[in-house]
Amino acid sequence: MDHLSDTDGTPPIHSSYECDPELRDLVIHFVDELDQRVETIRSAFLSEDVAALQRISHQLKGAAGGYGFDSIGDSAARLEYDLLTDESMISDLTERVEDLINNCRAAVRPADS
Amino acid sequence: MRPRVLAIDDSDLVHRLLRARLRHERIDLHSVYTADKGIAAAKELQPEVILLDIDLEDLDGFEVLARLKADPSTRDIAVIFVSASNETMDRVRGLDLGAVDFVGKPFDVGELKARVRSALRMQRLVKMLAQRAQLDGLTGLWNRAYLDDRLEAETASAIRYGNPLSLVLCDLDRFKNLNDSHGHPFGDEVLERTAAILGSGRSPDVACRYGGEEFALIVPGTDLQETIEVADRHRVRISEIQWPDRPGVHISASFGVADLSCISGTPTPEKLIVVADQALYRAKNSGRNQVVGADAQIWPRSAAG
Repeated sequence: MDHLSDTDGTPPIHSSYECDPELRDLVIHFVDELDQRVETIRSAFLSEDVAALQRISHQLKGAAGGYGFDSIGDSAARLEYDLLTDESMISDLTERVEDLINNCRAAVRPADS
Repeated sequence: MRPRVLAIDDSDLVHRLLRARLRHERIDLHSVYTADKGIAAAKELQPEVILLDIDLEDLDGFEVLARLKADPSTRDIAVIFVSASNETMDRVRGLDLGAVDFVGKPFDVGELKARVRSALRMQRLVKMLAQRAQLDGLTGLWNRAYLDDRLEAETASAIRYGNPLSLVLCDLDRFKNLNDSHGHPFGDEVLERTAAILGSGRSPDVACRYGGEEFALIVPGTDLQETIEVADRHRVRISEIQWPDRPGVHISASFGVADLSCISGTPTPEKLIVVADQALYRAKNSGRNQVVGADAQIWPRSAAG
């Protein structure tokens, strides 16, 4: 079974809507939920649940940018693309999955004002 | 009353974002998470605009769009489809299925609001136009309400001045099959082409869209015999329409014709419609693609034989 690397060199990522009064609460909520999403991604990958991985990468692809996290959205898009087009084993997607998880973990929760 | 916007998307993330972004617009936003709930909500709520996610999980978004456009009660609702796909083919497909616009996911803030506003503006104008002019939105012919008013006026006038008055009811043959086989955009095209033929007659004639696939033609100052000939000319032209993109496809229509003299007792517009409808019914049951007069005449002669 493949392991996911625990080393993470990704710099912190701030939402581009961090200071947007309209969205601040939502961004906070989104970042708070990311831990849970990372867990879902991780367990889906480890149990080779392609459908679950596809679902969550699709969701993040469509929504993350709207919360100001383009890098999360982009890495989710790359993972989704490979899931849909790659005929090879799920273990080949390690890099993509790690990339997505790293971006999620790097998201910064806007400070309370 | 504030305009209603219905959002159909299976992602809670998206709904939260929509609610936040559209909070300051003067609209009532309703959110549903599945295709089935979306279609039901559209019928019940009658929103001005629907934001439809093409990437729904339970049912293909394009299928939902097609169903909304196929149902008369939801057909005229403006649909903006939302897609994470960058494929031009998808956008073309959505627009051809009847969507008025699309917006990409993830949302660009300004763009989302602007497209929703634009669709609302357009809906307002379309509604005003339809109500004011009593026109049918798709074909540009008069609508049913106008038909009823006009028929009443023409009947009164015909009786008063002793002039003949005829009514033609025209129904496209096997229209439901056509829609099922070729899709609703083609069905719409058929309606438009038929309407163009029926509406191109002499100026006193009043052409109306009577129902989904039914038309009516008020023919003042003309008796049954002459009107049967007019109807048959329309019948032939309709059957001869060529469809360059669909070479094997042919359409036809059935016609029922009556004039005031076919009515027993005091002539009324309602009775005129009934008598013409009975003739139309006979045309349908005798093989379609023919004109039947209330006096039992059948055109073309070969259909009668």
